[in-house]
Amino acid sequence: MALLEVKNLTVEFGSEKNPFRAVDSVSYSVERGEVLGIVGESGSGKSVSSLALMGLIDYPGRVTADSLTFDGEDLLRMSARKRRNITGKDIAMIFQDPMSSLNPCYTVETQIMEALKVHEGGNKKQRRERTLDLLNQVGIPDPKSRMKAYPHQLSGGMSQRIVIAMAIACNPRLLVADEPTTALDVTIQAQIIDLLLKLQADSDMALILITHDLALVSEAADRIQVMYAGQLFESGPADGLFAAPRHPYTQALLEALPERSAGHDRLRTIPGVVPGAHDRPTGCLLSPRCRYATDKCVSTQPLVTDYYGRDVRCFYPLDDNGQPTGRNV
Amino acid sequence: MLGFLFRRLGDIVPTFFGVTLLVFFLIRLIPGDPILMMAGERGVDAVRYAQLKAQYGFDQPVIVQYFHYLLGVFQGDLGKSFVTKKPVLEEFMTLFPATVELGVIAILFAIVVGLPLGVIAAVRRGGIFDYTTMTISLAGYSMPIFWWATMLIMFFSVSLGWTPVSGRLSVLYYIEPTTGFMLIDTLLSDQKGAFVDALRHLILPSIALGTIPMAVIARMTRSSMLEVLREDYIRVARAKGLSPAKVVVVHALRNALIPVVTVIGLQVSVLVAGAILTETIFSWPGIGKWIVEAVSRRDYPTIQGGILLIAIMIMMVNLFVDLTYSVINPRIRHTR
Amino acid sequence: MSTQTNPATTPDPDDAAQKELEAILLAKPPSPLAEFWHYFRQNRGALAGLIVVGIVVFLAVFAQVVAPYDPIAQDRSAIQMPPSWEDGGSSQYLLGTDAVGRDMVSRLMYGAQLSVFIGLFVVVISVIFGVTLGLASGYFRGWVEIAIMRVMDIMLSIPSLVLALAIVTILGPNLINAMLAISIVQLPHYVRLTRASVISERNKEYVTASQIAGAGPMRQMFINILPNCAAPLIVQGTLGISNAILDAAALGFLGLGAQPPTPEWGSMLANAREFVGSAWWIVTFPGLCILITVLAFNLMGDGLRDALDPKMKR
Repeated sequence: MALLEVKNLTVEFGSEKNPFRAVDSVSYSVERGEVLGIVGESGSGKSVSSLALMGLIDYPGRVTADSLTFDGEDLLRMSARKRRNITGKDIAMIFQDPMSSLNPCYTVETQIMEALKVHEGGNKKQRRERTLDLLNQVGIPDPKSRMKAYPHQLSGGMSQRIVIAMAIACNPRLLVADEPTTALDVTIQAQIIDLLLKLQADSDMALILITHDLALVSEAADRIQVMYAGQLFESGPADGLFAAPRHPYTQALLEALPERSAGHDRLRTIPGVVPGAHDRPTGCLLSPRCRYATDKCVSTQPLVTDYYGRDVRCFYPLDDNGQPTGRNV
Repeated sequence: MLGFLFRRLGDIVPTFFGVTLLVFFLIRLIPGDPILMMAGERGVDAVRYAQLKAQYGFDQPVIVQYFHYLLGVFQGDLGKSFVTKKPVLEEFMTLFPATVELGVIAILFAIVVGLPLGVIAAVRRGGIFDYTTMTISLAGYSMPIFWWATMLIMFFSVSLGWTPVSGRLSVLYYIEPTTGFMLIDTLLSDQKGAFVDALRHLILPSIALGTIPMAVIARMTRSSMLEVLREDYIRVARAKGLSPAKVVVVHALRNALIPVVTVIGLQVSVLVAGAILTETIFSWPGIGKWIVEAVSRRDYPTIQGGILLIAIMIMMVNLFVDLTYSVINPRIRHTR
Repeated sequence: MSTQTNPATTPDPDDAAQKELEAILLAKPPSPLAEFWHYFRQNRGALAGLIVVGIVVFLAVFAQVVAPYDPIAQDRSAIQMPPSWEDGGSSQYLLGTDAVGRDMVSRLMYGAQLSVFIGLFVVVISVIFGVTLGLASGYFRGWVEIAIMRVMDIMLSIPSLVLALAIVTILGPNLINAMLAISIVQLPHYVRLTRASVISERNKEYVTASQIAGAGPMRQMFINILPNCAAPLIVQGTLGISNAILDAAALGFLGLGAQPPTPEWGSMLANAREFVGSAWWIVTFPGLCILITVLAFNLMGDGLRDALDPKMKR
């Protein structure tokens, strides 16, 4: 059984009559010790779906799912208290901006020990030792003195390490990292990703790595899930997905990578933007931006289908040569 | 921390001298001869006039007069009241505790009521509680407190007879002032019921005086909380699995309090202005009533000294607030 | 991993809210006034405030016409007559009469006239002087700024009512002097606001460009910079009216503002305490008028702030 099973997760905002679906019937699962990369542009619903997983969607947002099962228990059908016991202990999350993720009023020590106190108990001395241990683990130099530091005294990379220490404090079995490196300097980004992967490997923790950076997940993730406008467009094992994208959007994303633009005068881009609340196309959500779109794509929405072991939401999945199939059928 | 204190003192000192200049020239701006005014209706003969003029230093240049005044101020000599002939500082010190007592209870009332209202309104934003609280607090903010005080008297004292109409203590009791704070003095005395009586006298005036600060605190707390609740670290705290109450109290409120403390500090000025009206209505023997009486009796040394002392008091409170601010906000404590 | 999907439902595009939004997005940018009205209209409190202010202003302008009686005429046969719905009341005097038999309704209407006059007078005076001083200190900086701002700091270190009392002491207690005192007391707020806006504006490109084009300080200050600081000043001005009405009423109540028999709301309450046990209407109505008027101006000010502040728009 998978560690996390998500079936038809939907997150809606706005009025009941005219809802906006930030996440639209997304299903996926995460195995123990697996790294799942979720990729998409801004507004693709990748962050919202992970916030829903953590139970952090507030009114007026509405979260529905056929099931949201963690370790055999449905998160949506348990009491708020019981869910809080899992949140922060078995499932932890780190956010995009480390500088604003730490409460400016409290020391590093206080904030890490807080998570320990809620979930593990123990006495103050044990918690302090564990905190010191954690800071060592995430590679903070001179952890003893850093423990007494306030967030404004730390650099971005240092803050993100603290945030990671906070998240792994209770040995979670699933860590959700939402764009953990976006707000950091390029030189620090690789360090943080290496750290996350090392921690993941050491403790056999599952990791959901949310990013818009395809290059990053290509190296890190076991499996990849491509999202667009709240929908799942393609998912499958990382190697295959990069070698032969089945969805035109994945293909376009890969082509937009700078290193794949070699030999071209300009970097390639995908024209247009992700549709928002008020400009959703009726058919396939990608149709206005897709180079292969047909009349059928414009009028009807494709469903997710299995295509050679890959989940693809397209009428004309691409073949190994990157050409759409079945267009004449 | 010490550097911060000195920097703030550096701001205060020029303002202090400015206020002394202001009150010094205030008296000289009043049309009419100060000696004739002091003499009152009876008038003085030419010899006595010259004598008085020399005695008060009015024959010297204005700059010299100002220095004499300043010298006096530093020695605690703020002149003598025209009416009572007592030193202004002495009168101020006897009446001051009554105003402090009233002001402290009023601000406590304002904080105890305003802070939770603001927090709950922010947590339930957009709901009926939020809407009602904010409407009521805007009404409180718009309140003419001399009328509000009169309405409170009319309803609670006259119609219901629950609270006394005026003063600090019933004539039944006589308390020798030791600290000047009636609540403390009555507790120290062995007269039964005196403390409760003093407390009952405090209820209406402090509600009247605390209404505007309460409204301001509620509104400020709400908007500050709304801002903080949107912060990432609130989401992080929730992701740790903390209970909603803990998230609000431990993580949100602590940060939201920073601007609220500043606002509470600014209320001291509002309180003094309010005390003038409240004390007049409730016949509360404090500095507010004292200043109003001095103005209507044209008791210039009292007005002059009173304004200076009030300004000094407000500067001191603001300094204190700034220091408190640096305690709750670590970012200020560490930067200099 | 298995993935299934429900047929996605697309949101109904014909919804009214969406149309409105599309209209906003597609239409030409609306005129600033229309845009302002669009935001202001959504604030129900501000709208209510505007309506009440409208009524008060109407009463103020037409007090002579709508008031049933002369506000200082005494009817010796109807002293302390209760409102018409109470025992002993008469339909002749809708809200009763005061201690010397003057009609409450007429006095309150004339009081509206005075309050509106006080509010406008104070705001006009303090805006003119405050903005000029603020512009000068923000534009010239240096010792001009230091001198002006020090004086303002000193004024702010004294509670407004205490300072107003002091000024009234010098000038003598009457309504005009009370208004002058309040204007002076309100000055620092306009000076600070203007200065802050000017400092943030004067380094912007358009000012530099204009300077290169040869604009003098006067043109820079009043033609180029001032209009861009207008929004906060309008908001402060609205709130200034309500503060002026409150402070004038407080001075009137203390006997240091409008003098009897002037039907000013505050001075009508000057000896109201005598009547708390006997004639509630004499005590209640003038204060209620102050509260409602000030509340209306404050609601309007809040609405203006939200509608004029681009940062607040979401």
